[in-house]
Amino acid sequence: MGTNQPFVIYPARRVITINPAYPFGEAVAVAGDRILGVGSTDELASWGEHRIDDCFAEHVIMPGFVEAHCHVMSGGLWNSTYVGYFDRRDPQGLLWPGCTSIDDVLERLAKAAADMSDDSQTLLAWGLDPIYFPGERLVASHLDTVTGDRPTLVLHASGHLATINSALMDRCGIDETATSPGVARGGDGLPNGELHEPAGMMLAGDAFVDMMKANRTEQARWRYANEARNAGHTLLTDLGTTQLWDPDQLNNWKKVTGDPAYPARVMVAMSNLFGAVADPAELAELCVQLKSEQSDKLRFGIVKLILDGSIQGFTARISWPHYYKPPPGHIGNGLWLTAPDQMADLVEPYHRAGLTVHCHCNGDEASEAFIDAVEEVLQRYPRWDHRHTVQHCQLTTPAQYRRMAALGMSANIFSNHIYYWGDQHRDVTVGPERAARMDACRTALDSGVSFSIHSDSPITPLGHLQTAWCAVNRVTASGQVLGPDERIGVPDALRAITIDAARQLKLDGEIGSIEAGKLADFAVLEDDPLSVDPMALRDIGVWGTVLGGELQPAQIGES
Amino acid sequence: MTSDQRIPITVIGGYLGAGKTTLVNHVLRSTDERIAVIVNDFGEISIDEDLIVAADSDKLTLANGCICCSLAEGFSAALDTVRSAGVLPTRLLIEASGVADPNQIAAYGHTPGLALDAVVVLADAEQVRRQANHRWVADTVRIQLAAADLVVVNKIDLLAAPEDADALCDWLTGVANGATLVRASRAAVPMDVIFGPELREHAAGRSPSTVASSARAAHDTAEDVFESQTVVLDAPVPLPVIEALVANLPNGVARLKGLVQAAPPASADDANAAETAYLVEAIGKRTSMTPHATDPTQPPPRWAISLISHKGSLAPDWLESRLHERN
Ligand SMILES: [Zn+2]
Ligand SMILES: [Zn+2]
Ligand SMILES: [Zn+2]
Repeated sequence: MGTNQPFVIYPARRVITINPAYPFGEAVAVAGDRILGVGSTDELASWGEHRIDDCFAEHVIMPGFVEAHCHVMSGGLWNSTYVGYFDRRDPQGLLWPGCTSIDDVLERLAKAAADMSDDSQTLLAWGLDPIYFPGERLVASHLDTVTGDRPTLVLHASGHLATINSALMDRCGIDETATSPGVARGGDGLPNGELHEPAGMMLAGDAFVDMMKANRTEQARWRYANEARNAGHTLLTDLGTTQLWDPDQLNNWKKVTGDPAYPARVMVAMSNLFGAVADPAELAELCVQLKSEQSDKLRFGIVKLILDGSIQGFTARISWPHYYKPPPGHIGNGLWLTAPDQMADLVEPYHRAGLTVHCHCNGDEASEAFIDAVEEVLQRYPRWDHRHTVQHCQLTTPAQYRRMAALGMSANIFSNHIYYWGDQHRDVTVGPERAARMDACRTALDSGVSFSIHSDSPITPLGHLQTAWCAVNRVTASGQVLGPDERIGVPDALRAITIDAARQLKLDGEIGSIEAGKLADFAVLEDDPLSVDPMALRDIGVWGTVLGGELQPAQIGES
Repeated sequence: MTSDQRIPITVIGGYLGAGKTTLVNHVLRSTDERIAVIVNDFGEISIDEDLIVAADSDKLTLANGCICCSLAEGFSAALDTVRSAGVLPTRLLIEASGVADPNQIAAYGHTPGLALDAVVVLADAEQVRRQANHRWVADTVRIQLAAADLVVVNKIDLLAAPEDADALCDWLTGVANGATLVRASRAAVPMDVIFGPELREHAAGRSPSTVASSARAAHDTAEDVFESQTVVLDAPVPLPVIEALVANLPNGVARLKGLVQAAPPASADDANAAETAYLVEAIGKRTSMTPHATDPTQPPPRWAISLISHKGSLAPDWLESRLHERN
C-alpha cells in the first residue's frame, strides 16, 4: 500500500535521522504533516506522485530539537530591555550584545530610555547578573545618571533581586525610614536601590507586577515559539509556569497553538505551585482530563514539582561539605521548597494517575530525596515505564544515577551551567572537584540513564546547539575545560536533544527522530554537526524548522 | 482611634505537621475580629472543609466571612485579593509553608500599611526533637524555632509523662533562644497570648484603677494556665522605667502590651519638654517601643499596660510594683 497523497521530496546535504537502524539519508519525503520516508531521492520517488523541492539541497536536516525544560516567560521578558552579560537573540532574531560592564548596562538603559515616548512610563530591564561584575555593584545612583526622572527597574538574572532608580524609590516611598530587610543599603546607610527577595521587590509596586504580567500574554506565547523556531526547536516544554487550573491561561494556550501559523509544539506541565488548588489528587485528575483535550501542538501529561533552590544562589540543598565559599552570613546549606519527607505522598497521586513527575533538584540532597520518594511510591504502587525525571541534576552523584537506572528514572541535565556559571561553581559555589563532575552527562550515559539536556530558558538562552556544545566540550565562559571526563560525544549529545528528550516526555513514538510515519518536524541547519569541529557546534547557522510539514524559516534580524 | 492604622501581621510557622492550620482554625473560631489568612501553601493547604463556604481560583471565603488566599502568586496579589474583599481586615495571619523560614515571611511585615506583630512557631511535642536531628531537615527546623517570638509546644497531651514535657521545654528554650514557650493541645492557645492583651483604646466610662482580668476569649480553655494583670496609668512614667521594664521581663511573661506616656527626663528644659506617647510591646525576644501619635479630635487614650503570664509565675502586683519603682 502506498500513498495516494502527493508528497514532497526534500533532497539535503545530509539527513541525520537519529534512528540507529537507518542513521543517514540523502533526502526526506513529507506527505501532509508526516514523514513518508528517508533515503535516496530515487527510492523516495518510487512511492508515487511527488514534487521535488531543492530548497534544502545545501542544508543538513535533523529531527526538530526538543526542549524538555524551559519557561514561557522566555517570551514575555522581551517586553523589557535585555541587559544580561552574554549575547542573546530576541524572538525577532535581533542580536543583543552582552553588557559586559556596568557602563554597558547604563548605555543600554540610556538608549532604551531615549526611545520611549511617554515620559511617565516605567523603564523595565532584565538579565542583570552581578556575579560577573565582582567588586562593583550597580545601584540607584548609577541608574539615575541615565534615566533621570523616569522610574526604572532592572530585574536580576536570578529573579531574586531587582535594582531600581531614585525616581522609582520616590514613587514607592522607599527612603531612609524603610524597615524592610529586603531594602539594601549602601555605605552611607541609605537605601541604594537594590531590593531583595519577593518581600523587597514587591515594594516596587506596579513596576514589578507589570513585568510578571507580561509573561501571561498571547504575545509572550508567540515570542516563546518564535525564539524556539529561530533556534531549530519544534517542541518546547513550559515546565511549571502555567496555572493550568486557570481557564484563561489554559484557553490562551489552546488559542495560540490552535493557530496554524504557531511555530512550535508545546508540552505544558501541571504545577502544584502558584495557586490555591493544592490537593495533588485533584491536580492529577485535572491533568488526566487535560490529556483528552490535547491537540497535535498542545500536549499535557507531565507534572512539575520542586525541591530546592539554585546553586549560584546558594539555595540548592547540597550534602556535606555543602558550599565551598558561601557569602558571609550564609546559613550553611540551601533551602527546601518542599519538605523532603512529604515527597512520596506528593508524588503518589500523579504516579497512580499514570502521569510523569518532573522534579527540580539542583543539589544532590534534593535528587536523593526525589529518588527516595520514587522508590517508595514504586513499592506502594509498582508501575512500568513511568519515566519520572530528575530535572537539572546538577550535582546528582554516580550512586544516584545507578539508583535512577534501576528505578527507570530519567535525567534532564542542565549542561548550560558549565559555560554560564562553571567558573563560579569551581571558584566559589562548590569548589574544583565537585564542579568538575557537575552536570554529569558521561556518568548518566555510562549508568544507563536516559537523559536530555536543557537551557531552562530564560535562565540561559534557548538553543540546543548551545546545550549540546556545553555537554560535548564542557568549556566555561573563561575558556577552561571543566571536568573533561564528563564530556560526551557529539552523537550522544544529538540524541539527548532529540529522541531522548522526546522519550522523557513520552513523545518518542511521534517525534524526536526522522522515520517513516512520524511527524515531519525538522531542524534545518547550515552545517553538519557531525562533521564540524565540536567547538564549532554552537556556531552552526539555523535556517529554521519544518513543523508538521510546514516550512518555518528563522527570523534573523539585524543587530 | 490611634493614629497607627497599620494592620498587624502574625506569621505562623513550624515544620510540616506541627499544627499550623489547626492554630489558624483555632484563631478563626475564637474571635469575632475580621481576620485575613494568607497561606504560603506550596502544595500543603488543608484549611478545614467546614470553614470554607466558597472557593475560587485564588481565594477561599471562610465561614465567618474571613478570607484566605495564597501567597504563591506573590504577596501583592494576595494583598489585592484581601483588599478586593471589601472591608479591610483588622489582622493578617500568614501561614508559612512547612519548610519556610518564618523570618523571610516576616519581612512582609515591613510592607507599607502593615506591621509585624509576632512570629509564632509551632513545634510538634512528639516529633520536634527527631526533626531537629533529621539528616535533611535539621537545619530547617532549627532555623524555624530560632525565628520564633512565641513557640507553641503543640500536642503536649501526646507526651507520656509531665517530666517529658519539662525536658522538652528546657531543650526548646535553648534552640529557640529567648522565645516565649506556650504548651498546648490541638493548638488551643489563648487569644491574648497569640495577639497580645487587648488594650481598651479610650478612657471614657472606665474606672481609672481597674485591674482587669483579661477574658477576651471566653472559650479559651487555658485560663488555668495563664493569668493577666493590667495597670492603668494615671500619670506619665519616666522613660527609663519603661525601658527597664521591657528589657528585664521574667520568663513567665508570655506577652506585654501598653500604651504609655513617657515623662521627659527631670533634667530637660521645661520649655521643650513634652510627654511622648509610646506603644510598648513585648513577645519573646521581640520588644518594641513605637512612638504613638494621639489624635486631638478623639478622647484621650486609656494609658495602661497589660501582661499575660504563666499562672503563678508572677506576684499579682508584680507589674504595679515595677511601675511604682519610679517613685
Ligand atoms: Zn529562584
Ligand atoms: Zn528549576
Ligand atoms: Zn526551570
